[in-house]
Amino acid sequence: MDHLVLEVGTALVLIAIGAMIANRLNFSIIPFLIIIGMIVGPHAPTIGIIDLTFIESNEIIQFLGRIGVLFLLFYLGLEFSVGKLIKSGKNIVIGGSFYVALNFVLGLLYGRIVGMPWSETLIIAGLLSVSSSAIVAKVLVDLKRTANPETELILGMILFDDIFLALFLTTISGFLLSGSTSFLGISLSVLTSVGYMLLFFVVARKGAPLLNKWLNIKSDEIFIIVIFAILFFIAGFSETIHVAEAIGALLLGLVFSETEHRDRIEHLVIPFRDFFGAVFFFSFGLSIDPSTLIDAFWLSLGAVVVTLIANMVAGMIAGRRAGLSHKASTNIGLTITARGEFSIIVANLGITAGLNPILTPFTALYVLMLAILGPLFARESKSVYKWLNKVFKWDEKAKNEKKEKLKVAEKN
Amino acid sequence: MNIRESELPGIGCKFEIITRNQDKLVIVIHDDGRREIYHFDSDDYDEVVSSVTLSDQEARQIAGILGGMAYKPKALESVEFAFDDLIIEWFQVEPNAPAVNKKIGDLDIRSQFGVTVIAIKKKHSQKSHNPGPDTVIEAGDTLVISGERQQIKEIISKLLSNKE
Repeated sequence: MDHLVLEVGTALVLIAIGAMIANRLNFSIIPFLIIIGMIVGPHAPTIGIIDLTFIESNEIIQFLGRIGVLFLLFYLGLEFSVGKLIKSGKNIVIGGSFYVALNFVLGLLYGRIVGMPWSETLIIAGLLSVSSSAIVAKVLVDLKRTANPETELILGMILFDDIFLALFLTTISGFLLSGSTSFLGISLSVLTSVGYMLLFFVVARKGAPLLNKWLNIKSDEIFIIVIFAILFFIAGFSETIHVAEAIGALLLGLVFSETEHRDRIEHLVIPFRDFFGAVFFFSFGLSIDPSTLIDAFWLSLGAVVVTLIANMVAGMIAGRRAGLSHKASTNIGLTITARGEFSIIVANLGITAGLNPILTPFTALYVLMLAILGPLFARESKSVYKWLNKVFKWDEKAKNEKKEKLKVAEKN
Repeated sequence: MNIRESELPGIGCKFEIITRNQDKLVIVIHDDGRREIYHFDSDDYDEVVSSVTLSDQEARQIAGILGGMAYKPKALESVEFAFDDLIIEWFQVEPNAPAVNKKIGDLDIRSQFGVTVIAIKKKHSQKSHNPGPDTVIEAGDTLVISGERQQIKEIISKLLSNKE
């Protein structure tokens, strides 16, 4: 008896229930789907015909999840635009670079301090540095913060974070997937993946007119078939030259973002991204054995503390540099603390390359904590600001500054 | 009034407005068509006092009310309202203008200027009514005319305003 469809259907029912609960509580669905995935799995009971172990269908669920990663990164590439980057002001460039640098360096330090080898440390530093664009945008809209003065800076920093993610994933996948141990072999592999990325940049800049013509397809049906064919083929091909398939999807998204069909592709991809993305979070949870969570608990908690500190400091510095008040700057750090889909994708790359399996429960706990805590902190930013204000006496400083300004004005 | 426009990647577009009274107003147009209006504290430009969320349709209706389509403020002589290139203008005919005491049909406004007279409000009544070719234009009447900006300018300078 082949119950494959029933098993996948059961998984989808669980995903749907998780998504509905998350929606009712007004939370991102990411942490809920991971938790549900963790609860079921090989250790779960079988109830009559409902098999919650998902042993038979594990492979197909993992594969659907892989497709989810492709769509998530393809969409990230589409959203990206070189034009937007050039337009982003000095404040965003400085704030964004500083944010990424601080998180990454602290991540490296943390990885070494807890005694991880270099490869694992790089992955940890990477996943600590990428905040979740999806959760941050949702928090800003839900908390009605879109009108606030710090919002442009937050979104700009996130954009920078996404660029870092693309560069980091490309180089690290060359480094980890090379399969060779000699320095020369690894360097060659890294150079290949960086060269591959540059090739895509050139195609994006120079090939846009040609692509515009080729993709000028009236029928939606044919259009989507062509786009998906290119997406899967390029992603699969990338894998053969040691560039992770997800990077292939991301780079292809970048190429399409420069064409005039960008919006049309975006609209078509969103439902697929949402559906397969949800399966991906569930499959990630499914791949975790709950008994390993205890081993990773302190490791994750430490990483959460590191991230909170790094985010507060980076947000405060970026905000103050851009001339925002202390209150608005506090909001920056608290809002971009959320971690989600991209951290899991980075961890996945490490797991694929056969690194220490503790990375999976570590990332799961880390993302769970910050996907839930991040939005909560953002919501309670006023209380956090009041508390910090007691320590740093910012309000008095602001008053003194005003008095100074008035004095200067009176003198003149 | 000071208006600053900025893009919110992945969310939409934001307009920050500081009015002459130093009130801060922010309008966010979401990519899904929703509009949000935020009113900030005049003493602390970081604090939102209140906000309103509107659907696309509601926003258009309110824009019409704000733009003076439903009720024209008494203080204004002329109001204009734009739909892309098409403008609707309220104009009070000046005394001794070329069009005074002439019939709309005789002036041949539509083919001469490419402008349509949508409504006419007689000088001493509050009601607007639909003009026909036999309607006579008098000084002090308010005409509601629609056309392109250039055509509107032309008809106002040639027919409806006092040349002396």
